[in-house]
Order: sequence, then structure tokens, then C-alpha cells
Amino acid sequence: MAEYSPIIPREAIERSFAKLGPKQYTLWVDIEHCIGCNACSIACKAENNTPVGVDYNRVIEIEEGDFRDASKTPNVGVTFVPMPCMHCGQPACQAACPVGAITKRKEDGIVLINKDKCIGCRYCAWACPYGAPQFNAEAKIMEKCTLCVHRTDKGLVPACVTTCPAKVRFFGELNELTMVMREKRAKGVSISVGGADTKPSVQYTSK
Amino acid sequence: MNSLIELGLQVPVRLDSTLCSRFRSTKSECAACAVVCPAPGAVRLGDGAGNNGAEINAACVACGACVSACPNGAIRLLEDDQRVAERIAQKVHSGETFRFACNRAKGRAEMVLPCLSRLTEALVLEPIRRGAQQVELRAPDCSGCGLRKTAQQWERTLVFSQALCESAGLGAARISSVQVQVGNAEEIRLPARGPSSRRRLFGSIAERWKASGDAPLETEAGEEAEPEPFREIVKRHSENSKRTDLLRVLDALPGLKVTPKEVVTVGLPLAQLEVDSRCVGCNVCETLCPTGALTHREEGGNYALDFDAAHCTGCRVCELACYHQALHLRETVDLSLLFQRSRVTLISARLANCQACGERILGTASTFCPTCQVKASGDRRDSVARLFFSGGN
Repeated sequence: MAEYSPIIPREAIERSFAKLGPKQYTLWVDIEHCIGCNACSIACKAENNTPVGVDYNRVIEIEEGDFRDASKTPNVGVTFVPMPCMHCGQPACQAACPVGAITKRKEDGIVLINKDKCIGCRYCAWACPYGAPQFNAEAKIMEKCTLCVHRTDKGLVPACVTTCPAKVRFFGELNELTMVMREKRAKGVSISVGGADTKPSVQYTSK
Repeated sequence: MNSLIELGLQVPVRLDSTLCSRFRSTKSECAACAVVCPAPGAVRLGDGAGNNGAEINAACVACGACVSACPNGAIRLLEDDQRVAERIAQKVHSGETFRFACNRAKGRAEMVLPCLSRLTEALVLEPIRRGAQQVELRAPDCSGCGLRKTAQQWERTLVFSQALCESAGLGAARISSVQVQVGNAEEIRLPARGPSSRRRLFGSIAERWKASGDAPLETEAGEEAEPEPFREIVKRHSENSKRTDLLRVLDALPGLKVTPKEVVTVGLPLAQLEVDSRCVGCNVCETLCPTGALTHREEGGNYALDFDAAHCTGCRVCELACYHQALHLRETVDLSLLFQRSRVTLISARLANCQACGERILGTASTFCPTCQVKASGDRRDSVARLFFSGGN
């Protein structure tokens, strides 16, 4: 278990001027059916043209079970967890940014980094429990998943969602997504990282 | 003559945003200008997101209180401090009392101002520098005045000037305030210098126009160019002309005998900083410092942060911005700092490489860089993804 203790005080996150708008666009990732092909990561890199080492989306492999214990039947399994930006309700990155470069858009709840304001101090990367903000060493600024804002503004869905061959990524408004999740009787998994509940919006479902 | 020129301009003050601490860091809650501004709606502070800096609009009454209140010297009146200082210098009689008075103060005075809050510490000390024995601030009871909100500012300036005077070894009693009756102030005029000609009149207009900064037409032309990104703007550190003026006056005070004087930092445009071992050498304090009082050196794998106390304005941007809260203002400050231009090295340590990612950090507190400070592994995403299988938290 990760022992992550954010230095950003809780009150700072809570008053991080993120008045939640009526809508929160986000992703739903069905990790039960994710096959770990990394197509989303590749599509993201191609779409956003990110340099080496800057990954807006990364698929984490988690191995569980044990096969060395001779008394039990081996039950090992691998699960893949794609980790984009969580577009939190109360973003820790926004609370940490000393120059106000990070904003949460009122109309769709997307957390964005203003490239003109960002001074590349990496405070957001230090504050984010999910490791979303990435340092672009070429431009000396921070970047992160924008939910493909250039596509979603035009009415398209993010590149990772169109690409996913297993069709486990869904894009939509949070309330609508949770309704679909309920219909499909998918079991939601929520995580809150100790000490600071940043209200992550990205939904995961598993077995 | 002044009013003739100001007619064409909308706002009688100029704001250099690069010096405004709110503009530089959204964490700054400085409201020095807004607190003293007597004109409702003249100062507009940013909302915390986007542009957080102060803006001054045409509702401004040009009382000068914000000029005096802004510790960073971000606000300038069109008639800047330098010109007022020149006017003071012309009127000082050596060994006598120099009287500043507000418009409503009954009696004669060497200099009558629309409001005493126009005075900065440098201007209050200017007559003493020019040889005056006493400086007197004459004001009636401010509670009946339309500009009463500014009263706190000139009182603060008075107290700070007295403290500075004491620290300079001249005694606080050289500067005093006198409460007078409400009436018309009468300024002692300088004897006229010969007949005035039309040529001289236009000459003086042109001179003042030049002194007021760039003409409005030129600024409009500049707006067409691509706006400079914020991250480039904050790399620049403009000169705090208010502090430079004060330091110049303090240096030239006759009979200067510096004596240490410890005072409480709160409310003073002055501070002494301390940095503890939590510093990772991220340089955010240096970047965001409005006046450039902090500078860092990197020599042969060694990192050092230098602090110039004479230029620090105690705006607390560095303290608020520091992620690790490694930087603190001391509770008391020694006023004699302003007389000595010493540079203090706040922290000096070897740079180390982060054990996980190899990033160069100040390894005084941890062997991992702040991004990698998650116990499970070097990757924060990995450790959070694992939380799914350990039942939430």
C-alpha cells in the first residue's frame, strides 16, 4: 500500500476554488475487460505528439496471486489499469500550483494546464497522487492528459477511446456514465488516496 | 499644468504588474492597495485564477495611498516620487522644520498634498536628508474626510519612518505628526523665477509629458504584438524604484549612526528569511520574488540560495509559494538591515541525484525527489493502481 502523505494541506485542496460545474466529462475504464494492449497510450502519444518520457496515459500491470505455494492451486492473474489524469473534483495540482496555471473548466470539468502561465516548477507533479502531470523537458513546462480537449470541443471523443480495441474505455458526462455503469451492473471501484480526497472523476469497474 | 496633461489619460497611476505580488503568485493574498484605496471600485483584485494581479481603473482619484502602500513599488503616480523629492529639496531650509500638510489642514506648510498618504518613507525622510531639523506631518482629524480610508496608510508610513530614523541614530522625535484644525492649507511658494513665456509653458508641458512615461499612443501600438507568456514575464525582475529611492535617502542621511533595532515583522515592508532542510532547490522562490531579492548559485555541484535583505519587501510570496514550506519569515526584523547591503546565504548544500529517477535535488531531507517520494516504487501511478486491489485505501 502506498503511504502517500500530501504536503498540500487538506484545507488548501478544499478551498481550491473549484466550484463544481453542473457537468463533469470524464472517462470510464472497465478494467475487467482491459487486455493491456497499450493502444490507448500509443493513440494518446500520436494524438498529442508527446516526446519520449511524457505519458499522459500509462497502463499499469498488476500481478496478483501466488503459484509457489504447493498446497494450493496456482491462481495468478494480471490486471491492467490505464491511468490517465483523473480530472479531479478538487484537484491537488490546482491547489499546489503557485501561479494559478491550472484551472478546472466550469463547463465540462476538464482540468487544464495553461502553457503560457506554467513555469515548470513541477509542484503539480509533486502534489498529484495519481502521477498525472508530466514534465516536458524540451519545453520546460508541465503537461498532462487534457481529455483530448481539442477533439471534445469539436464533439469528438478522446483518441484513446476511439482507439481502444477491447472497447473498455468510454467517454461521457459523469452522471450519464454512472447510469450506464448501473445498467450494465458493473461494480465500481473507487480509490481515495490517504489524507487527501481529491474526488477523482475517472470511473473504474472491475469484477 | 499637471491636470492639463492628465486630462488625456484615463488612469492617473501606472501599474507595473511584474512587481505586483498577486500577479506573480496566485497564492499571494496581498491587498495592500485595495485596503487603503478610498475610491470605491478603483482597485480591482484578481479572482485567484487566470490573472490574479491588481488592476487600477479610471475611478482612481490619484490620492497616492496605494503608491505608498504597495511594498513592491508596483504603482507609480504620473508625478513620481523622484519629482516630489526634487520639489521637497527646493523648499528645505537647513536646520528648520519642514511641514507636510494635507489639503484640509489649516495653516501654512512647505508642501501641501491632496492627502498625506501620498508620502512614502523616502519622501518623509527626504527633508532630513536635505538638512531639515524636523519633519512635521500636519493633518486634521481624518474621520471627516472623503479620503479617510487612507488615514491608516500615512500613519503607518509615519511610524515606519520614525523607526527608520531611530535606527539611523537620529532619534524618532525628528518626525512627528500634528493634529490641526480643518481649514484651507496654504503652500509656501517658491519665489517666481522671472517672467514666464509661452515658450517656457509649452516647454514644461513637453518635459512633463516625457517624464510621465510612454505616450498612450505608443502603448496602443504595442498591444498588437503577441503577448509575452507569463512564464517569460516572471523571469524578469523589475527594479523596485520605491525601495531604491528609500535606500538612496537612507545612505545620504546626515549624521548617520546605524543602531540595530529589532521590530515585529508583521505589517512592515521588510523581512528576514530563514530556510530549513526541507528545501529541495526548486528555485520557485527566486522566480516568483517580485523584487529579485533571492538569487541562487550553482557551483561545482553545490547549491546556494542568496538573500538580499535590503531589497526584500516582506510580501511573503516566497513563503506562500514554497511547496515544502521550507522558507519562513522571522518574527522580528532588524531595521539596520536597510543600511547594510549584506547578502546572506540562506542555504548551501550539495546537489544529489534522486535514487529513482536521477533528477538533481538538494538531498538534505530525502534521497528521493518529491515526485518519487512514494514508498512502494518510483512510479506514483503504479502505487495508486495497486490500491484497487487492496480495497480502496
